[in-house]
Amino acid sequence: MMYKLVLMTIACIFVGDAAYPQENVPNLKDPTMIAAGHDLFLQKQCSRCHGEGGKGGINLARRALDPRGVFQAIADGRMGSGLRMPASRDVLTDEEIWKATAYVMSISQQPK
Amino acid sequence: MGKLILAASLGLTCLLSTATVALAEAPGTEDPNNWPQYNRTSNAWRYSPLDQINKDNVSKLSVAWIAQGGDITMGIQETPLAIDGVIYSITSGNRVAALDAKTGQEVWNYQPKLDPLTKKVLFSPYSRGVAVGDGKVFIGTVDGRGIALDQKTGKEIWQVQLTDFANCHGCNFTSPPVVAGDMLTFGSTAGELATQGKIFGVEAKSGKKVWEFNTIKDDPKSWPGTSGKYGGGGAWMPGTYDAETNTVFYGTGNPGKDFINEDRQGDNLYTDSIVALDPKTGNLKWYRQEIKQDVWDYDSAYEVLLFKKDGKDLIVHMNKSGYVFVLDKNDGSIENIWPVSDLKNFVKDIDKRTGELIGRVELPMNQETLICPSTFGGRSWNAGAYNPNTGLWYNNVLDFCGYLKPVAQKDDPKDYGTGHIGASDFGRLVMAPDGRKPGRLDARDPFTGERKWTHEMDMPGFAGVLTTGGGLVFNGDPTGILRAFDADTGKVLWSFNTGSGMRSGIISYAVAGEQYILVPSGWGSYAAILLPALFPQLEKMPAASTLIAFKLPK
Repeated sequence: MMYKLVLMTIACIFVGDAAYPQENVPNLKDPTMIAAGHDLFLQKQCSRCHGEGGKGGINLARRALDPRGVFQAIADGRMGSGLRMPASRDVLTDEEIWKATAYVMSISQQPK
Repeated sequence: MGKLILAASLGLTCLLSTATVALAEAPGTEDPNNWPQYNRTSNAWRYSPLDQINKDNVSKLSVAWIAQGGDITMGIQETPLAIDGVIYSITSGNRVAALDAKTGQEVWNYQPKLDPLTKKVLFSPYSRGVAVGDGKVFIGTVDGRGIALDQKTGKEIWQVQLTDFANCHGCNFTSPPVVAGDMLTFGSTAGELATQGKIFGVEAKSGKKVWEFNTIKDDPKSWPGTSGKYGGGGAWMPGTYDAETNTVFYGTGNPGKDFINEDRQGDNLYTDSIVALDPKTGNLKWYRQEIKQDVWDYDSAYEVLLFKKDGKDLIVHMNKSGYVFVLDKNDGSIENIWPVSDLKNFVKDIDKRTGELIGRVELPMNQETLICPSTFGGRSWNAGAYNPNTGLWYNNVLDFCGYLKPVAQKDDPKDYGTGHIGASDFGRLVMAPDGRKPGRLDARDPFTGERKWTHEMDMPGFAGVLTTGGGLVFNGDPTGILRAFDADTGKVLWSFNTGSGMRSGIISYAVAGEQYILVPSGWGSYAAILLPALFPQLEKMPAASTLIAFKLPK
């Protein structure tokens, strides 16, 4: 219950942020997009903290994630639970961020 | 009778005076009530001579006060200072505070407005401490500035931009400067950054930059072609200032790209070295490289301990490889080299006379290679402690490994969040192949490495160690458990749950006749990010930024 509450709170923070991506979410299940996102995930060393398959120290594979929240975290970085994720908006285009998002969604738990 | 009492009193006074003088002259016992610099004394022993808290009464330790440091991002990584009843502390975002050492109540605080780029760079927003001298509190900031504050009020006196922060891949300061007479020396981050790490000399009074020392030697034999352009190095931990020889000793960081040596087929000086510098000029007196052409991320930035033994002036210095170098303080010549663990495969050994790496293991591109110890090292950066009464040096030992996999990477100093490491990560962590426990606290002779006792742990220690005149050793772990050990035997005498993991330096001080043990607690740093892959119980470890002071009940 507490976990759900925390997730809802995080979701609210993302929704309330002015930098929320305006465009429509592309097809994140496109295998080409997921493969390109995997390459970016490694190139930009997302794997440094998340592990090569998302099962590293900050484990993505066990999380139920929202694609817009993932986009925003990659673009603008995140601080939470005492940890810090750097922003990548200056080094990745929106299209690239969506590709990385597609890969992250592919390895995370899908919402039911 | 009166004369007799007077004579006896005078005699006692003389005896006490003599005892005090003798005590003051013993190395490591200077200024006993205070913790005035990062490693307490200039020999970097992390030894407090205070003995009010001892083996017999440590079990009665109680919390005297608790203070919160504010922002908990990346936890608390500092070693606080204690000077004449005031604690000087720095927490996330370079927030500096002066606290009453008896109550923990804040006297003043200061926080610089940081460059927004600090949100993107690799090493931020944590700091490992402040320095105090000349009536000022000095900090190095995570956007590459040096700042001096008034020690009494916290008001800013001067500031100086030292690193080219936006153009050096975010190279900055995560450690305090060293007070070296009327000079300050600041060592920058660099090893994983597309830059050349520097050490800066600054006038303590004015903040004027006087010199900079480049940890990347301008020498095509050491750095063929353009390989030195982003050679890394740097000096991201505080150095040691030796007033006797007017020398500041720094350990330096690893070369870049971290895991690829294809284009840097030289020694890669002065990375993974000790450099002995004149603090007035920055001139290099001598250097000793410990890991030549490193591909395993074995920074040598750790503390430099000073000793006088059998008429010799010695340095004891560990690097991340887990090898300890015992050197002549005056020229860096090798006296001995010994490893803190037999869990090492990056080389077969290091030659104890020449320092040459014997049978080094190279890393083929695009393949995983198992390397021990891991990129966290045989010990992390958190310092050990030496007790002159036992003659033992107490260190956490990390006994686990990692798979390293170099991959091609473009150089891009504007890609601030991506490490210049030639890999997608810092290695896939794994337990030791022989199934041993992943960590222990060792008590060893610092010169020979002979082990007196060990305390094995299921969760290795990532905090600095304290040892005291009360015959105690204090050590904390990532789950927040603080333990006091008998310094002679390693027996656990007391423990306390601080509520969050420990990644910083425990100190001791005295005020108004009472001894305190001051413990920073607050899990953070890259250890908090990376270690849950190996220790899943750390995934839920709450972060914090807390100072907890303990003393004996009255």
